[in-house]
Amino acid sequence: MSDSHGIDRRAFVKSAVAIGGAAALSACLDRGTEIDVPRGPEDPTAAFPERQHAWNAALPTTDAGNNHHPRHRVLLALDYGEGTPTEAERETVEAALAGVERAYERSAAGLLLTISYSPYYFDRFDADLPESVDLPEPRALSAFEDPAADDADAIVHLASDHGEVVMGAEEALKGELDELNGVPQPDAALTDAFSVRERRTGFIGDGLPAENQDVSGVPDDGPVPEDAPLYMGFESAFEGNQPTEDRVTIREGPFAGGTTQQLSTLTLNLTQWYEQDTREQRVSKMFCPHHAANNVVEDAGENLGTDPRMDDCGDPMETARSEGVVGHSQKMVDVREDDAPIILRRDFDSTDGDRAGVHFLSLQRTISDFVTTREAMNGEEIDSDSAVGQRTNNGILQYITTVRRGNFLVPPRSLRALPPARPDADVAEVAERAEVADA
Amino acid sequence: MRERSRRAFLGGVGAAGVGGLAGCLGFELESGSREPALVENRPDAVYRPTHTEGMAMAGVVSDGGYSCALTYSYPHRFWTVTGDDTTQVEVGADDALHLMPVVWHSETGVVPSDVNPSVDVTRDGESVVDGLNPWPMLAQQMGFHFGDNVELPEQGEYTVTVSVGAGGDRRTGSLAETERAEFEFTLDYQRSELRELPFQDVPEARQGTLGAAEPMEMEMVPLMRAPASDDLPGTVRGTTESGDAQFVVTTLEDATPFGGDEGQGYLAVSPRTPYNRFPLPQLSLSGTLSRDGETTFDGYLNEWLDPDLGIHYGAVVDGVEGGDELTITVDTPPQLSRHEGYETAFMNLPAATLTL
Repeated sequence: MSDSHGIDRRAFVKSAVAIGGAAALSACLDRGTEIDVPRGPEDPTAAFPERQHAWNAALPTTDAGNNHHPRHRVLLALDYGEGTPTEAERETVEAALAGVERAYERSAAGLLLTISYSPYYFDRFDADLPESVDLPEPRALSAFEDPAADDADAIVHLASDHGEVVMGAEEALKGELDELNGVPQPDAALTDAFSVRERRTGFIGDGLPAENQDVSGVPDDGPVPEDAPLYMGFESAFEGNQPTEDRVTIREGPFAGGTTQQLSTLTLNLTQWYEQDTREQRVSKMFCPHHAANNVVEDAGENLGTDPRMDDCGDPMETARSEGVVGHSQKMVDVREDDAPIILRRDFDSTDGDRAGVHFLSLQRTISDFVTTREAMNGEEIDSDSAVGQRTNNGILQYITTVRRGNFLVPPRSLRALPPARPDADVAEVAERAEVADA
Repeated sequence: MRERSRRAFLGGVGAAGVGGLAGCLGFELESGSREPALVENRPDAVYRPTHTEGMAMAGVVSDGGYSCALTYSYPHRFWTVTGDDTTQVEVGADDALHLMPVVWHSETGVVPSDVNPSVDVTRDGESVVDGLNPWPMLAQQMGFHFGDNVELPEQGEYTVTVSVGAGGDRRTGSLAETERAEFEFTLDYQRSELRELPFQDVPEARQGTLGAAEPMEMEMVPLMRAPASDDLPGTVRGTTESGDAQFVVTTLEDATPFGGDEGQGYLAVSPRTPYNRFPLPQLSLSGTLSRDGETTFDGYLNEWLDPDLGIHYGAVVDGVEGGDELTITVDTPPQLSRHEGYETAFMNLPAATLTL
């Protein structure tokens, strides 16, 4: 297969993911190259970790030593409707999820998935979430944003290096397929308990942004570098810039083993970024002025390996005062614990709505950890006390608009199907009832 | 939100330094702009540019304590500033106009430097431009404002929404009472209208000489100048200069509006451009006060918005006496994009001293 054919096919698969549906899937499968993905285990629950978000062990490591990010993504925003879930619905949801897990191995080449629930979902229960879960309703996190609240009840996150896999899993979860990757699918479908409000799609990885830059928000002359993993042209989730999965996992209470997921929809306006800023300005704003002045970043930053060398950047306020610009990554250094950030990034770019965007998905133990991180990114004190503006020269704030924010709980696997707000209380209650019945 | 007026408005060019409008169209406007070549050997100072421009206005809308005029002109070159570096931005082939959402505090006329307007453009409900955050800019005819060149696919009516967030913490008086605001305009993009905007060549002998084009006076849109030194509140201590920028220094006995305690004083520095007296926001300034060789204050002069002082920089101090020595240090030049005639000025600003 020639390179150009390969790129054509990649672009086709990505477009098919963005379009979605059974027809797009079959067009994709008809178009040649049969993908060969190993099947999952007979009993996924016995084989898979309790942490839904424990993906790292299933992800290969890139040449630079960073975790590879599955290239194709679908987020299904689901509504449950009124009332509280029944045990039958829980069994249906679990059966549907297990169905796709049996079809594809749990890996980047196969399928990685999580299901998460919003505060709006948990509102239906009489009991509140336990104190060990920090899951407020989303709100604006800066003076200059006015995001819509993402009030879907649940989000299913599907990730794979193969577009056909995320599309196939999506169709199966909607009950559209009898068989997936040669594995019979249950009658149960997510759509028996939920309605699909919205599908959101995206991609991450070398080449994909450049191949998909013919959208609003990116200048027409195709400025996104060919190998860049993200629209803005740089690597961002360096291994040295990610916390461990342990650090973002809830430790206590009935949802121990779970995590919280913050999901924002960001739109990018990269005309200024690519047409008016120089590369030096871009490196200053993405990393820090020191990196720009000393040519520390080559191309997208692969030369940095796992470490973006933030220690060399200096104190953000001092830089802002003396250089008039502060880097995005540089501003985040202060929120590190044990030399690592406190949010785990699993974000990706998107062409939803035919415009360049980002589904900024991060995992953290508490939503407060995300808020702390975002406040560092806002750089309000830096703006206030230096020549750096509210957005101008203030990291990458000038190029990004937050149009929607949502907070979700990714429960541990055993509670992933329509969890109650207080599983411990429910368990206690059930046990109590059982005792009464026994008596 | 209320749209007070919507009418085409031709801003007049300044009265001095330019002749009539005859022959003013020294170029052909197609999809972009053909600007005259830059002046050779530009001085490192404020200089007279190659030409002056008129502009049009889509309307004025008020909301949240602010007013906003959506003004525009033909697209033109400008320079972005990051640190000490300037980068020339050329007009793009598809740029339709230079869009300038001018936001000011309705009561005081102060153009706030601590909020960055965002712009969304739609046509028949479809997004054309969204999430554009125009650059903070400095122009000889307009002073401090926000603007950028914008691409529009075709001539016709567009809906333009401008929004600003709540203001920062360093504001006094009624400036502190604003809210997040949104302003909606209808902009009728017609190349013929742009072609008719005044475009005046500056005589060649004057191009590049020290001086500045006259500010443009527009009906309904305040032109924000720094207060004349006689109009500044407090005890005006004098004026010092640094690389073309002028710093007028005044001291106030009451520092409480600026976060000081009773009994403390307020040291205010009002930097402005020469000739046109435009304030210079987005500087990093520091100050040192000394008396008889002893330092009595050494710290940041932070940017504040005040109804009487306008955009200025200040610090709470424990008292100032006549004869005190003030040193003003510019840690970063103004991080403002520049229109022609300002791009070489205010970049190299040595420390300035003044005996109070």
